[in-house]
Amino acid sequence: MSQAYQVPTVAPSTTRDVAGDGPAINYLCGDCNSKVPLKRGDPIRCKECGHRVLYKERTKRMVQFEAR
Amino acid sequence: MSPRKKATAGGPVEVSGSTPKSATTSKAAAQKAKGNLSDHTETAAESKPKRTKTAKKVQQHIHRAGDDTFSALLEPFYGGKGLTDPIDTAKDKWNLLPAFLKVKGLVKQHIDSYNYFIEHEIKDIVRANKVVTSDVDNTFWLEYLDIRIGAPDRLDYDDRKPQNDITPNECRLRDMTYAAPIIVDFKYVRGKSAILRTNVAIGRMPIMLKSRPCRLAGKNDREMAHMNECALDPGGYFVVNGTEKVILVQEQLSKNRVIVEADPKKGIVSASVTSTTHERKSKTYVLMKKERVYLQHNILTEPVPIVVALKAMGIQSDHEMLLLVAGDDSAYQDEFSVNFEECAQLGVFSQHQALEWLGQRVKMGATKKGSNNRGRNYVGEALEALATIIITHVPVIGLDFRPKALYICFMVRRVLMAVHDPKLVDDRDYVGNKRLELAGQLLALLFEDLFKTFNNNLKINIDKVLKKPVRSMEFDAYNHMQSHGNLITQGMNRAISTGNWSVKRFKMERAGVTHVLSRLSYISALGMMTRISSQFEKTRKVSGPRALQPSQFGMLCPSDTPEGEACGLVKNLALMTHITTYDDEEPVKKLVFVLGAEDIASMSGIEIYAPGAYVIFVNGTPIALTRKPKEFLNSFRKFRRMGRVSEYVSIYINNHTNAVHIATDEGRICRPLIVVENNKPRVTKKSLEALRAGKMEFDDFLYRGMVEYVDCNEENDSYIALTQDFAEKTPGITHLEIEPFTILGAVAGLIPYPHHNQSPRNTYQCAMGKQAIGAIAYNQFSRIDTLLYLMVYPQQPMVKSRTIELIHYDKLPAGQNATVAVMSFSGYDIEDALVLNKASCDRGFGRCQVFRKYAAHIRKYPNKTSDRLGDREQDAKDPSKPIKKHAVLGPEGVAMVGERIHSGEVYLNKETPLNTTSSGIGSDYGSNEHRPAPMSYRLPDFAYIDKVMVSQTENETTVFKVQTRQTRRPELGDKFSSRHGQKGVVGIIVEQQDMPFADSGVTPDIIMNPHGFPSRMTVGKMLELLAGKAGVLNGTLEYGTAFGGSKVDDMGDILIKNGFSYSGKDFVTSGITGESLPAYIFFGPIYYQKLKHMVQDKMHSRSRGPRAILTRQPTEGRSRDGGLRLGEMERDCLIAYGASQLLLERLMLSSDAHEVDICERCGMMGYQGWCQTCKSTAGVTRMTMPYAAKLLVQELLSMNVLVRLKLEDEFPHPK
Repeated sequence: MSQAYQVPTVAPSTTRDVAGDGPAINYLCGDCNSKVPLKRGDPIRCKECGHRVLYKERTKRMVQFEAR
Repeated sequence: MSPRKKATAGGPVEVSGSTPKSATTSKAAAQKAKGNLSDHTETAAESKPKRTKTAKKVQQHIHRAGDDTFSALLEPFYGGKGLTDPIDTAKDKWNLLPAFLKVKGLVKQHIDSYNYFIEHEIKDIVRANKVVTSDVDNTFWLEYLDIRIGAPDRLDYDDRKPQNDITPNECRLRDMTYAAPIIVDFKYVRGKSAILRTNVAIGRMPIMLKSRPCRLAGKNDREMAHMNECALDPGGYFVVNGTEKVILVQEQLSKNRVIVEADPKKGIVSASVTSTTHERKSKTYVLMKKERVYLQHNILTEPVPIVVALKAMGIQSDHEMLLLVAGDDSAYQDEFSVNFEECAQLGVFSQHQALEWLGQRVKMGATKKGSNNRGRNYVGEALEALATIIITHVPVIGLDFRPKALYICFMVRRVLMAVHDPKLVDDRDYVGNKRLELAGQLLALLFEDLFKTFNNNLKINIDKVLKKPVRSMEFDAYNHMQSHGNLITQGMNRAISTGNWSVKRFKMERAGVTHVLSRLSYISALGMMTRISSQFEKTRKVSGPRALQPSQFGMLCPSDTPEGEACGLVKNLALMTHITTYDDEEPVKKLVFVLGAEDIASMSGIEIYAPGAYVIFVNGTPIALTRKPKEFLNSFRKFRRMGRVSEYVSIYINNHTNAVHIATDEGRICRPLIVVENNKPRVTKKSLEALRAGKMEFDDFLYRGMVEYVDCNEENDSYIALTQDFAEKTPGITHLEIEPFTILGAVAGLIPYPHHNQSPRNTYQCAMGKQAIGAIAYNQFSRIDTLLYLMVYPQQPMVKSRTIELIHYDKLPAGQNATVAVMSFSGYDIEDALVLNKASCDRGFGRCQVFRKYAAHIRKYPNKTSDRLGDREQDAKDPSKPIKKHAVLGPEGVAMVGERIHSGEVYLNKETPLNTTSSGIGSDYGSNEHRPAPMSYRLPDFAYIDKVMVSQTENETTVFKVQTRQTRRPELGDKFSSRHGQKGVVGIIVEQQDMPFADSGVTPDIIMNPHGFPSRMTVGKMLELLAGKAGVLNGTLEYGTAFGGSKVDDMGDILIKNGFSYSGKDFVTSGITGESLPAYIFFGPIYYQKLKHMVQDKMHSRSRGPRAILTRQPTEGRSRDGGLRLGEMERDCLIAYGASQLLLERLMLSSDAHEVDICERCGMMGYQGWCQTCKSTAGVTRMTMPYAAKLLVQELLSMNVLVRLKLEDEFPHPK
């Protein structure tokens, strides 16, 4: 006879990223302007005031403008 | 008018006379003038604890004025006049206008209507549907006690955030709905006892911005800024799912009013009335056809002879009927008496017979289903139809048909009158016969429908449970209340966000009720709030509804209407119009009788139509009779001016029909006028001084009877003076215009000297003013719009108008003062093209920024998978660098702020799961793979990443909004326009050294071709230049207010004083040759707007490119890199010219040439040299044809239509 049904031991994780994976990117809170480091999967929320609108920080790279 | 309001009315008047205010110093009074909006609305809202409050208020003012210097700017603007400046009533009565706009204003009708809905109408709706019972258990009941709207709050509440309120701007950013809970209190039966539940939320109501429940209501500038909101934002719209939605004002024919119309072609004269009550909506006609009068209604199978109908309503005696319809006028009597004959022929003599006869003609199913024809109770059905369906708005109480019979008699009378004198028909386009439907009314309709469905569902659910004989636990209806709590919320949201209003009860199915608030410029947003859309269909070729009606004067803007198909159907409110809300009829009726009128129900026809007797109608329904109409009218008005009746109740005499009409209904257009008594305007120097000192407000003028609201009908019954002088000298004047320029709307008010322009030019400017790029709002940088145009250096116009100041266009301007030389130059300026100075462009003239939003939702799927952000891909050759497409991405897969992004580069590296349907049951997990779904920048021109916002929506999905920024300087082909409908594109940009220059060395920013003037006749533009030039030299801002403004002579004097020619012409030297020009050049500043149409957004070319899948023809449109179509007319040209080979190339080779195999024998298509039909290769030929043609043949084939292609030699053998 065929094999009996086996309960799958481990469900494959559906998401690659468990919270805390990846680099922390700094965001700025839209309300209190404090820095909010966010990692992949973190809830989007200011750690200081609980505001839920965050803005990305400006790049550290040099940006050259053409003045005309 | 309720007595409560009267107390409010009296309040401020008494207080300002005898309050601690007199004790405060003059400094305090000055501070009060600087005070803020919030306090004023506060006082308007609640004025009971007045005495104590006033003292406190002054304190507050001192405090606020100290820390809020900005709000002084928002105060009524009195033209820079100080408190001590002399006041001239004739000149300064316009001071009332800013005071009016403070309390009423352009969008106040929206807000008032919404407030009325929130505070009264919603309660009435619940009161009308307050009990829910069960069919199963008759001991069960549920009764709503109260309903109210809470404060707008967030749904994702937790303890982390101290306050639960939400700001509109957060809703915009997070794609949420700005809504507040709908809270009810109710009592119901649980088990054996009645339970009271309070503060139960049954849904969420979208909140109109700046309405009473809104957080922005009555806030000062500082508080507004703190909430990231613009202090000048008009409000009056909703934020639903992050988009701003306006419910446009809808124009309709007035309801519950009789309209008499004649159709000479069919020989029909009819009086019709559309009756609406909360339950029903129906239309009833009384019509004269072949000299006989009939009553017609949808519920009746055929028109019913009027005598039968009236008999059925209990007017049994023919004589009585004759008198009620015709009075003792023999002409009308003769006309009407024919009808008795018909009734007698039908054998109807008594009320019972009439009802029997009528009942047979009541449509089945309309009243009650199930009863078959035999068992019908005709009399009962007729009674019910007459009582509740025909002319529903006249109530029949206790089967007393008298009021309704009288109503019909009056309709018959109107028909008879119209037959006698064809002039006595009504005009559908007359503004007094129209009503405007506002947000509050539309929401009320929707809410009533939803609330009824909600209760119905609740009842069904309750019945389901109560049906069960044994229940495991005690039945609690409260639990069922919550179970379908989303119905009301989603119903409201969906209606507002899609604009589809469907109310089943009224069979209302309206699309396009709401629009997205246009935020192109401040003016476009403001213009949208005053817009009125008509219900007439646009295709009809009648000019009547589109034409300018004389009765629109002062109510609707004569200039502001779109061109083209909606011309004249879409209108705009004038500056001072207000739209009424409903006032209770009962107190008005009481007052009518108090003033000595007699009840009409007890009157006979002789009395009603006696000479000098006037019938008093309240909202179109006759209620009383008076023999002294003028006296009655005057005393009624006196009561209104005293504030005993609501200021919006209008009364007027119609001498044609001998009627006094009183209207208390909602949606009438009205405007304030100064009251004139005995040739003396009631607004005096003293009162204006008090206004300027801040001791009086606009409402005080109202309550003291100095100013009153006059609606269109009452306006027709008044003698209104335009100037003070006229008012004082002409006998019989009743009112004085506050300011003539208020006949224009907000958008037309921007035009300087509009009264010197040809009228279509003003209309063109009204359309273009909305496209001008400028400042949008104070919070323009903290909002992320899909598309946002901003001017880099906007200026307020040199030549302003009062309207500009009143609507604060000078604080959020859209344009720049360009120095213009009116001369021809270079030949690149023909056909309205402009010559621009390159140096001016370098210095920032016409420079603008374009912001674009790219939003992405990180979606979650039901099987627990979700979208994610992919990593930045590194270059295979140089692992330290990302690949070119990912150049601007940060490590987490989102573009970095400030980076320059080019076409094709990715700004959000999204990945979606491959499998979104797996159930997760057993081993059905599906794959865990993700597919890249990057979002890349598509525009040909580069941009900078300006902002990256990340947030969460209401349903917890993450939303990314990437905003890009482009800065653009004017280029060839960009569109500019002055404020006089004179648009033009940039034809050439010239170096400054080549531009002509004046004596002082001034070079123009713009050279305009003089050919623009003669045919357009925009004299206003010349005056603007003159006034602007004088202003520049004098250091002042001049006025170009309509029907006023700075005088040309004064401007000329200023120019002369400064050493210029009075005509505005200058001596100019050519920059190219150095020679002086042989003519003096008209030279000076004109305000120019940069319009949103820019070459960069339109420039497009293609050689080869994508093709549509279905037809294999080139795609269409710039956004899809489409081809440029050689259309029918171009094709005609080529045919006419005979360029057949060119035609062949364009239509075939450059489009969708396709090789097909065709069988010469059967004429059908084969493949690879084989004909499937003939089963042979013989006769199969290859040919080229358009793919679309091949497709057509095959599509026809699929529909069983065979197309045989007959082939012929192109060059046949000569025989």
